[in-house]
Parts: sequence; C-alpha cells; structure tokens
Amino acid sequence: MVNLILKDVLIQKKIILIYIATIILYLFIEVSLVKIGFLYSMAFITQTFAYDEKDNANILLNSLPYTRKEIVSSKYIGALVYTSLIIFITSIGDFFLNGKEVLFLWKDILLIIGLVMVALSFILPIFYKFKTQSLMIAVGALFGIYILIIKFLSPSLNVTLRESIQKFMTLQETQMYFVAILTIIILYVGSWLLSIRIYTRKVF
Amino acid sequence: MENVIELQHVHKSFKGFQIKDFSINVKKGFVTGFIGGNGAGKSTTIKLIMNLLRQDSGTVSVFGMNYKKHEKEIKERIGFVYDENVFYENVTLKDMKRIIKPAYKNWDDEAFQRYVNQFELPLNKNMKTFSKGMKMKASLAIALAHHAELIIMDEPTAGLDPIFRRELLNILHELMQDEDKTIFFSTHITTDLDRIADYITFVHNGEHIFTKEFYKIEEEYAIVKGTLNLLDQETEREFVAIRKSNTGFEALTADKNRVANIFGDSVIMEKPTLEDIMYYTKKGW
Repeated sequence: MVNLILKDVLIQKKIILIYIATIILYLFIEVSLVKIGFLYSMAFITQTFAYDEKDNANILLNSLPYTRKEIVSSKYIGALVYTSLIIFITSIGDFFLNGKEVLFLWKDILLIIGLVMVALSFILPIFYKFKTQSLMIAVGALFGIYILIIKFLSPSLNVTLRESIQKFMTLQETQMYFVAILTIIILYVGSWLLSIRIYTRKVF
Repeated sequence: MENVIELQHVHKSFKGFQIKDFSINVKKGFVTGFIGGNGAGKSTTIKLIMNLLRQDSGTVSVFGMNYKKHEKEIKERIGFVYDENVFYENVTLKDMKRIIKPAYKNWDDEAFQRYVNQFELPLNKNMKTFSKGMKMKASLAIALAHHAELIIMDEPTAGLDPIFRRELLNILHELMQDEDKTIFFSTHITTDLDRIADYITFVHNGEHIFTKEFYKIEEEYAIVKGTLNLLDQETEREFVAIRKSNTGFEALTADKNRVANIFGDSVIMEKPTLEDIMYYTKKGW
C-alpha cells in the first residue's frame, strides 16, 4: 500500500517543483493559506487520477500483486498524506517568506483537511465510476447551479457560506468540533467503501 | 499432467459479444499458442485469466487457486506482456522499476539488470520514447525479473519487426529450458507458433474450438484439393469448409485419414498451416 502512495508521488516528480514554485508565488501575493492548501491538495490528487487514466495504469496496477481494495485504499490514505505534506510545505514557506512566528493555526490545518476530505468524499467515487473528464463537466454544472441559486433563489448564499465557515473558525465548544470531525470521518469512510465497491466491479 | 490455468464453463457477455460455456486448460511446463481472428475473444480470455474482467458465471483458476481468495499469491507468480502500453509515459524505465519492484516479493534486481542489458534498454529515458518493441521487451524484463512461473502475453509480436520477433522467440525458447515455466500467448502471426508452441488453443466467435498438441494438428487436419465433380452433398460433409473455383476445390478436413479413404488418389492432400485452419474454420462457421 505504501508503495502505491509513493508511486503517486514518483510519477509527479517533475511537477512537484512547479507546485512548490507556484505555492511560493502565491505566498508572496499573500493568498490565504487555507486556499493554497486546499487547492493544491485537490490538484495533486486529481492529477494522480489523470495519470492513471491516461496511461492505462489501471491495467498495470491490477496485473501486479495488489488487490483492488488496496488500490482504492491507497488513494484515500494517500490523499491525507499528500494534504499533510502540502500543509507542511506551505507553512514552512510562509514561515520563511512572510516571517510569521506562528506556523499554521491548528484551526486552519483542521479546516483544510476537513474541506479536502469532504470534497474528496464526493469526487473520488465519481473518479472511480466515470472518467476524470466527467468530473470537469460535473463541476461546470454544479457551478452553474450555484450561480443560479445565488441569482434567483438566495442571493445571500455566498454570504451564508462564508458566515458558516467563519462560525466554524470561531467555534469554541469542543463538542461542536467533535461532531464536525466525526461527521466528516463518517462521510470519508462511507465514500471509501463506496469506491471499493465501484472499483471491484470495474472492467479493464 | 498439471494445469496451470483452468477455465470452466465461463460465461461473460458484453454488448454485442459474448463468451459462452468457455472451458480451456493450459498445461504446466509448455508453451501454448492462443489463436483466433480479431474479435474472437482472445483478449477477453486473457483479461479473465488476469482478473481484469470478472466472469458472469463459471470458474477461473490459476495455479489451482481462485482469485477471490488468492489474488495476490496468483499475481505474484504471473508475468504479463500486453499489446497496449501500460507504462506511465512520463517516467523513465528506472522509475518504472521503482514503482513495480516493491509489488513483488521475489524481485531480482540482478536479473532485471541482466535483461535490461541483453535487450539494450535505456534506463534513463522516458517510457514515451520507447518503441513498441522496446516496451514489449521492458514488460518481458519485468516479468522475468520476478521469476514468474507463468508468462501471459497478449499479441506480443504484433507490430514488431521480424528481427525483434525472432529474438523474442529465442528468449522464450531459452526460458522454456526450465520445466516449471509455462507460457501462454495469443497471436495472429501464426508462423511464430511453428517455432515454439507445444499446444495450440483455437477460439472463434467466443467459443473454444480446440486445444491440441501442435504435431497432432498436422496429423489430423489436411488441405484437400481436387476437381469439382468429386463434391456432392455427402462428400461435402467431410469438410470444415470448402472453397470452390472454376478449376476445382480446396477444402479443409479435420479427419485426414477418413478423407484419404473416401477419395483415395483422386485428390491431393497437403499439410495445412494454422492460417489455413483459422481461415476455413471461420468460413465454415
């Protein structure tokens, strides 16, 4: 399993430098750390799927002594590993560039990991069921719906969203945190099991 | 004799194509050539054997084990060479080795290096610069580096030049000096099989037509040539298929001796090639 996670890093070896360079660039212009962390984690994971798809890697991986369960699990565990790495790199960069004494706020870290987990819970099963291209279509469609909702139904949706994130950031009660974390973990594990089910039935 | 691969009563249907009640055995320690036309079901069979596809019903067992319980043990012992590219294009062979090596328990770095040298493969060039033949050799080097007991190849010689093809056949020949190794490969370049195959498995239209020892095919089948007046409803039944022209007929029989008894010296009998057998079988279907 660890091999499969390392493999996803290895195939992006050449792009990793570009990732780091652009992260530094974004830090310069002071883009928020949460945005950087979330977007790069998502980009990295999406990219691993794109590579597997483009190069018929699923045929290779399934011919090697791995079970389909392991192949799927490596993505779910890997995603958390890459996200942690990206948070680490970003905070180191931020420390040196912007001279922030405090590294990442632990709330920021939780928020990034939480957002990544929620987003992946929906995206990964789609990746396994369809091709990555279909996700682009899905994202486009969702964005359209989102715009329409803002426009016609609830002009304040954007504000509400921002407020609820803000609320989350200022939450004090540990109980609320506990509930949020538990919900996200259940969602993630559920998505994981669903992906295994989808992938096991897949034909190559 | 021990079977390495056993497919029993396998059914699998797709849109517009199906494999029905398909049973084949591949014997341990021999080279089995797997022939059939385009769309006959060769790749589907290989995918079933590799567990890339799951059968709708029937059983697939490899090394006497099923995939449900022993997926890893089975694949640990299989080496594979596919017709299509399965390598990440933007990495080098060296990185490909780094990716694949930890998957196998008995990976042998020395053997890998030896085959890389023998096949003159560049370790530090991106896989996308590899020609089809080089990719095939890279797959083979990987298959041999983990000491696979069963080597499964899907059209390994398709698209290769004659020199490459002959080299490959020599390597396979060398490999078969080890009695525990088994090779199963599909091809439609049937002349490749003349050189190394012990058994021939022939499929057509999703059905298993026969699996026979190579020399027996020559003993049983024959191409028969004669004049048209020899043919009538009764005698036509002796043939798999018949090709008629103004000057006479040419036909394939699956029972050489019987035809010899019926027609005697009035016909000419020739040794059929595998291509003849494929051609007439398809025609007579």
